[in-house]
Amino acid sequence: MNNSLHRSLVLTAWIAGVFCLLVCAVIIRGHFTAATNDPWKSPRLLALKDQLAAEPKNKPLQTEIRRLDLEFRRNFRHRLALDKTAGWLLVGGALVLVLAAGKAASVSTKFQPPQPKTGAAELAAKLASRARWSLAGLGLVVAGAALMCSYHLTSALPADEADWQKLASKSGPEQAPAQAAPALSESQANWPRFRGWDGSGVSTNAGASAWDSTNGAPILWRSAIPAPGHNSPIVWGDRVFISGGTASRREVFSYSASSGALLWRRAIENVPGSPPKFPEIPDDTGYAASTMAADGQRAYAIFGNGDLAAVNFDGSVAWTKYLGPLKNSYGYATSLAVWGNNLLVQLDQGDSPTAGSKLISFQGASGRVLWERSRPVPASWATPIVIEAAGKTQIITLADPLVISYALQDGNELWRAHLLENEVVPSPIFVGGLLFVISPSSRLLALRPDGAGDVTTTRVAWTNDENVPDITSPVSNGDLVFTVSSGGVVTCVDAVSGKKIWEKDLGVSVEASPAILGGRLFILGQDGALMTFQAGREFRQIGQIQFSEKFLASPAFANGLVFLRGATNLYALGLAGANAPKQP
Amino acid sequence: MLRRLKFIGALGVMLLMALLVSAEQRFPPPDFENGYSLPSTSTPAARQLWLQYGDTAVFLAALGTAVWLIYKKRSRRGVFWLSLFSLAYFGFYRKGCICPIGSPQNIVYGLFNPGYAVPLTVLIFCFAPIVVALFGGRAFCAGVCPQGALQDLVLIKPIVVPPWLEHALGVVPYIFLGAGLICAGTGTGFLICRYDPFVPFFRLSGGTFILTFGAAFLLMGMFVGRPYCRFLCPYGGLLRVASLASKWRVRVTPDTCTQCRLCEQSCPFGAMREPPSPETNPKWLRAERKRLGWLLALLPVLILAGAWGGSKFSPTAAQLNPTVALAERYARQQIHPVEYGLMTPEALSLQRAADNPAAILTQAADLRRRFALACALFGGWVGLVIGVKLAALSVRPSRTDFEPDRGACFACARCFTACPNERVRLGLAPAAQGAEPL
Repeated sequence: MNNSLHRSLVLTAWIAGVFCLLVCAVIIRGHFTAATNDPWKSPRLLALKDQLAAEPKNKPLQTEIRRLDLEFRRNFRHRLALDKTAGWLLVGGALVLVLAAGKAASVSTKFQPPQPKTGAAELAAKLASRARWSLAGLGLVVAGAALMCSYHLTSALPADEADWQKLASKSGPEQAPAQAAPALSESQANWPRFRGWDGSGVSTNAGASAWDSTNGAPILWRSAIPAPGHNSPIVWGDRVFISGGTASRREVFSYSASSGALLWRRAIENVPGSPPKFPEIPDDTGYAASTMAADGQRAYAIFGNGDLAAVNFDGSVAWTKYLGPLKNSYGYATSLAVWGNNLLVQLDQGDSPTAGSKLISFQGASGRVLWERSRPVPASWATPIVIEAAGKTQIITLADPLVISYALQDGNELWRAHLLENEVVPSPIFVGGLLFVISPSSRLLALRPDGAGDVTTTRVAWTNDENVPDITSPVSNGDLVFTVSSGGVVTCVDAVSGKKIWEKDLGVSVEASPAILGGRLFILGQDGALMTFQAGREFRQIGQIQFSEKFLASPAFANGLVFLRGATNLYALGLAGANAPKQP
Repeated sequence: MLRRLKFIGALGVMLLMALLVSAEQRFPPPDFENGYSLPSTSTPAARQLWLQYGDTAVFLAALGTAVWLIYKKRSRRGVFWLSLFSLAYFGFYRKGCICPIGSPQNIVYGLFNPGYAVPLTVLIFCFAPIVVALFGGRAFCAGVCPQGALQDLVLIKPIVVPPWLEHALGVVPYIFLGAGLICAGTGTGFLICRYDPFVPFFRLSGGTFILTFGAAFLLMGMFVGRPYCRFLCPYGGLLRVASLASKWRVRVTPDTCTQCRLCEQSCPFGAMREPPSPETNPKWLRAERKRLGWLLALLPVLILAGAWGGSKFSPTAAQLNPTVALAERYARQQIHPVEYGLMTPEALSLQRAADNPAAILTQAADLRRRFALACALFGGWVGLVIGVKLAALSVRPSRTDFEPDRGACFACARCFTACPNERVRLGLAPAAQGAEPL
C-alpha cells in the first residue's frame, strides 16, 4: 500500500516538476524575445528613428514608426497576459509538486534511531582536515575570480598623470585643435555678437564714420532671408551671419558682406539628445530669436528648442549640443556671447528661482563645458556682457531680481545686487566705468562693478525712472545714456548724474535696441523707419530712411557698413566702394 | 499543523514568483507628439518620523518576544508564529526596508560621507540584534528576520550539507560583508541590499537577475535549511561572531544531556555539535599543536598577501562605481569610438561625460584613490577571515554534551522537543520515555 502510494506521489511530483519547467521555459523564452519588441531596443525601430532624424518630413516613415510602435505595444500587452496565465499555471504546478514531493518524502522517511559512532576522533580529524583544504580551495577560487576579473575588465583610464590631463582636455573622439583666441582689436573691428563686440551697441570702427544716411537710401545690397527669425545680424570680415528656423527645421545662413550673396546655409539637425518634437514656441518669439556669435573661426547659434551649434566659416558643423528642453513661456531669446575662446550661454528658464537656470561657459573650439553655474533666477531674455573692471574679467548677467557678476575664468560669483523686477529683456552695457542696467518699465540704474558679495546698497551710482524701456537696451557714448521705449520715446540722460537732459516722442513702435555710430544715434522703428540723431545734449535729427518692411532686429556696424535684418530681407547700407570689407 | 503551514508558505512563495514574472518587465512611455510632457519622476517622501519610531518599537518588541520565547517559554510554536508576523510586517508591509542586514552599510556610508547623517532608527536596527546576540544568541534570526522566515517556510526536506563544505562556505558572508562595506564607504552603492534575493519578493518587483537569484535560493531552501542565512547573509556573520561571546546560549535541554543523538537529526541547519571524543592520542595532539602554530604564523602573511592583492584589484573593483564606470566608458570611447543609438542610455551618459570630461575624470581619480585603500583593506580582511577560520578548524572544542554551535545556531527552537528529557519536562511524554545519561 505504502509502496504504491509512494510511487504515485513520486510520479505526480515528476509530472508536476516537468510541467513547471515547461511553463518556466515559456516565460523565459518570452523574456528573451521581448528585446526585439521593445521600442527602446528594437534595432528595426531604432534604425527607422535614426532615419526619421535625417528626414523629419518623411510622412510614410512616420506612419511606419507609429505602426511599429503600436504593434510592439500590442505584443507587449499580449505577453503580459501570457505571463499572467503562465504564472498561475506555475503556481498550480508548484503546488502539486510541493504537496506530492512533501508527502512522498514523509511516506518514505523512516525513523532511524541514532547509532553510536565508532572512531569519532579519526572522523573529526578527517573532517577538520577536509574543511581546511576546502577553505584553502575557496581562498584560491576568490583569488582566481579576482584575477580573472582584472584580466577581463582592464581599465582604460591612464595610469600616468600627463595622459590623464590629456584625456581630460579632450572632447569627442578627436582632440580639438589648439587655437589662439581672436585679438581684441579683431573683435572690435567686427560685430561678433548682439550689439557689437562688448554688447554696448557702439561701433568703434573708424571707417564707419564715413557712412552717412543723409544722402538718401544708400542700400548697397539686399538679400532675401529664407527662414524666419528675430535675431540680429553679426559680422566677421566678409561674413554676415544670421539664423532662422521653424519647428521642423533650424538653419544658419552666411552671406557675403560685400555682395550680399548667400554663401551657404546649414541646417542644424541630428543634434544628440534633441527630441524630434518639443513644446510649441509662440510665433512672436519664434525658434531663432537669439542672436548668433562668432570668434573668427566659427559662428555659434542657439535655437528656441535648446539646440546649440558651432558652425565653421566654411559651413561645416563643428559641434552641436542639446541644452533643452527649455522652460520659457515666451520662448528662449537670450543671445550668445563670446569672449576669447569662451562661448557663454545664459540659460535662464522657468517661473521660479529653482527652475534650473544656469550660465555655461563652453570652449568654442570643442564645445567642451569649461564650467557651469546654477542661477537662482527664473527665465530672462537679457544677453550677458563681458567687462574688464576692478582688475577682473567679469560676466554681467541680468534676471529678476538679480544683477550677478561672475568671473570669466572659473564662473565663480563675484558680486550680486537685488535691483531688478519684472520680465528682464533689456541687456546691460558698460561704458566709462559704469554699468547701466534696466529694470523694465521701472528704473535705469548705474552701478560701479567693483564690489564683492551683495552690493545692492553700496554700488548704485544713480537711478532714473523716466520713460524706462521694457524691451530695448540702453546705449551710451560715455557722456550720455540714451534709451528708447517700446512706444518710441527717446530719453537722453547724463551718464554721470543720471539726470534727464531731453526726451522726444518719435511716434513709432520700437523693439530694436538703439546704437551709436560715428556720433550718430540710430533708432530703428518697427515700421521700417531708420532714424539717425545727433548723440548730443540737444535733440537733433540728422536723417531718416524708410523701408517697406517690419524691423525687430538691432543694427550691426562693420567695415563702414550698416547691416539690418528686416522681416524678410537682409540689408547692407553704406557708401558704395568707400569701404570694401576685408576677407576673413 | 506546521507541515501544512510550510506548504501554504511554499505556495505563497510560488504565487509571488508568478506575480513577479509580470511585474519585472517595464515598458517605455509613448513618444507623445502633441506637446504632452510626462510628469517628472519623483521619489516618494520619507516615511513619517513617528511611523519610523513605531517600526523601531515593533522591532524591539519582536526581538524581546523572541528572546522570551526561546529562553523562557522554549516554544518552537511561538517562535514560528513570531517569524510569520515578522515576515508579514518587516517583509511584506515594510517591504524589507529598513532591515538590519543592510544597516551596516548606512553606518559606513555615514562615516565616510559627512553629508549623510545616519538616522537613529538605522542605528537601533543595526545594533539591537547584535546586543541581543551578545547576551542571548541569534534571537533575531530565529523570529524577527523576514528573510529567514521566508526560507523556513519553504523548507520541505532538509539534507545535510557536508561539514567540510559548510565550513568553507561559512566564510562567504564575511567576504560579502567586506565587499558591501567598501562599496558603501566609497559611495558606490549598497551592494548587500542590491543583492538581497528576497527583497524583490517583498516588493513584488525586481529585475530578471535578482528574481532568478531569489528563486534559486528559494528552490535550494526547500532542501537546504536557510541557505542565504548560512552562506551569504553578511549580518548573520556579525551575529555569529557576537553569539560566540554570548552570555547565555541555547541548550537542547536544561536538564542533563543523555547523549542520545536525537537532537542531531532535528537541526536542519547542521548546527548541532557533538562532544569531542575523549580518546586522545598524544601524537595527534603534538601534530595539532604544531599545525595551529603554523597557521597562526600564516595569519599575518595571509593578511598582507590579501592587502597586496586587493590593492592590485582596485582599478577593476572601482569600475563598480557608476562615476568611474562612466569615466572608463569615456576613455574607451576616445580609443575605440563606438556608435550608440540616438538617446540610448549609453549615448546620453557619454554626452554627459563629453560635456565636462575634466569633472568626471577628477571624480573618477578621487574614487580610484579611495578604492585603492578600500580594496587593500578588503583584501586584508579576506586574508584575516580565511586565516582565522583555518586556525579555528585546528582548535579542539571543549564541550561535553551535544549542544548547538553558538555561532551557527539560529535559535529556532526545533531541537527542544527532539530531546526525550525535554518532552518529559514539558509533559509531552511519560517519564518512562526519559533517558538516563549514557
